[in-house]
Amino acid sequence: MNTQSITQYYRKHWKAIVTATSGLLYGGGWSLGYLTGFDTTGAAILVLATIVGGYDIAKTAYHEVTNRTLGIKTLVTLAAIGAIVIGEYWEAAAVVFLFSLGSYLEGRTMRKTRTALQELLEMTPDTATVRRDGELQEIPAREVEEGEVVVVKPGGKIPVDGDVVDGESAVNQAPVTGESAPVHKADGDEVYAGTVNQEGALEIRTTGAGSDTTLERIIRRVEEAQEAQSPTESLIDRFARYYTPGVIALAIGAYAITQNAILSLTLLVIGCPGALVIGPPVSIVSAIGNAARSGVLMKGGEHLERAGKIDLVAFDKTGTLTKGESTVADVEGFGVADDEVLSLAATAEKKSEHHLADAIVDTARERPTAATDGGATIAQADDTDASLQSIPDPDDFDVVAGKGVIAHTDGHEVVVGNRALLDDRDIDVPSRIADYVREHEKRGETVVHVIRDGDIIGAIALRDELREAAPGVVAALQDAGIETVMLTGDNERTAAAVAEEVGIDDYRAELLPEDKQSTIEELQTDGHVVAMVGDGINDAPSLATADVGIAMGAAGTDTAIETADMALMADDLERIPYAVKLSKATRWNVLENVGLAVLTVTVLLAGVLTSYVTLAAGMLVHEASVLAVILNGMRLLRY
Amino acid sequence: MSDTTQFRVMDFDCPTCASTVERALSNVDGVQHVEVHYATGRIEIEYDDGVAEPDTFAQTIENQGYTPQPA
Repeated sequence: MNTQSITQYYRKHWKAIVTATSGLLYGGGWSLGYLTGFDTTGAAILVLATIVGGYDIAKTAYHEVTNRTLGIKTLVTLAAIGAIVIGEYWEAAAVVFLFSLGSYLEGRTMRKTRTALQELLEMTPDTATVRRDGELQEIPAREVEEGEVVVVKPGGKIPVDGDVVDGESAVNQAPVTGESAPVHKADGDEVYAGTVNQEGALEIRTTGAGSDTTLERIIRRVEEAQEAQSPTESLIDRFARYYTPGVIALAIGAYAITQNAILSLTLLVIGCPGALVIGPPVSIVSAIGNAARSGVLMKGGEHLERAGKIDLVAFDKTGTLTKGESTVADVEGFGVADDEVLSLAATAEKKSEHHLADAIVDTARERPTAATDGGATIAQADDTDASLQSIPDPDDFDVVAGKGVIAHTDGHEVVVGNRALLDDRDIDVPSRIADYVREHEKRGETVVHVIRDGDIIGAIALRDELREAAPGVVAALQDAGIETVMLTGDNERTAAAVAEEVGIDDYRAELLPEDKQSTIEELQTDGHVVAMVGDGINDAPSLATADVGIAMGAAGTDTAIETADMALMADDLERIPYAVKLSKATRWNVLENVGLAVLTVTVLLAGVLTSYVTLAAGMLVHEASVLAVILNGMRLLRY
Repeated sequence: MSDTTQFRVMDFDCPTCASTVERALSNVDGVQHVEVHYATGRIEIEYDDGVAEPDTFAQTIENQGYTPQPA
């Protein structure tokens, strides 16, 4: 080992070296004093131990004083000097050694909490292979420009955010979304920096590089969240501001009255409410870090503490409990052919962006093609699949929000909509049709009526499959003592059928978008702490109203990441029980830490004032309590 | 012109240590705003780049007894 590497080694480990040296000297001095009587040599070694261990503490204390902050290092320095002045060398060395050891261990454990996120950042590769001027070049990943095509080999890490333009592969997105199963990616699919390309080569058109990637944004948000003070933390900080000066005043007062120097110095040692100040941030940082690694973004301690009190979770139905992809389950013509009903409805719905409209139009397109219009098929542009039927445009088209559409085509008025739209237009529903509708709604399907020139000519039943995970998620929340409610715009019967299928406690049906928000308010007025789970865009108002808004599938949508109190990066419902339980565990963890800290301070104060606890013992208990709360908080990293 | 730089300190061992560093950094000439976070160890400094140098900040942090790393 040359001089330079020794210096480097020392710089890296100086806290450990200083602590160990002071510990050895302390042990040596104490043994010497114990074995040979308390002679001058023993005392000298103990003073040396104090100086070795205390030099850095005193240096920082000096800075604390010149910067006019009152920290524990100032208090420890005063106590150690005081102890030497009154001849309590053993106490002085012990206090300094225990403090060094304690803060060394604290620094080490805190580092683990602080580096939990760094591992995520290291997921992004430093270089990227880009196609420039027709050839492949390896350049720093940060210098890839938007629109450039990056080539990623099988097994390679994806260096940028972008869209796949060539190739097909399975990509492990765990660093971003927390999903352990790889996701299939092909032309047009979005991929994220830091994820791993597992199978085939991919060419990716860059949409973001460097600090402008989803992963970087997540990490920034997580850090901001960890740094934001929770209500408990601010309360404790305010308390700490008075506690330390208070204890010093007490130390001076106690000395003035009792002339007991040891008592006053011991008060100084315990004058920093260490465990109390350190506990809550460690719990919260660990919890937020753990959540981030599982693909759950939490907005900060305040939200986490509130989430710990959730007793009711409201789910939006479509796209949250269900897959959000409706398919046509059945078409029924009343006096006309089924096919005619479907094609008429498709024409009317062609310009609509509603998810039910998409399902109807797609189904109409995929019908077996009548073999008569071959000429037209050949003439079509090559991006249209020849096996698909073409749907004519309507002459005009109007949306009635929450009810349906009204269109004109071929000289007919075509209305496609729900019961409310029929009522609006005073259209009578024959009992045969009403029976059909009732029967399908009881199966959890949504039925739309098709009306031509004022007569009902048919009905279409649509089905939105439940997510496989939904019943399990609802059951897991119920097991945790949390009520579950489903909110939906569907009619009563469909809602009841879906609610039963998923096993949810309660449901609210026939809600317009703004009704969802007022439903949340009602639940809150009933005394519930409400979490709302939705998609983060359409449900944004109700997510904002809820005590805790949980957005699903947030990886691609920055607004959801910015606004939701919790954002599930993956479209994975199963993270919800985890997130809710983690919040509850965090709330308990914070309470445990505060409880332990208050207990420690009370016992120490009582012990000191009754002279049962002196310098070294006080320091030992103080440091032990700090380590205990850090270790307790860190349990949340592995929750 | 105003500029921002970041450091990371992994060895803060108590919240007061973070406030001490925060005070020390805000006393450096040309520093306009400092945030030191105990929980994450992140330090963010906003400064006038005509007056102050990031190297000075690293030195200041080191003087307080902590190890700055680039963030």
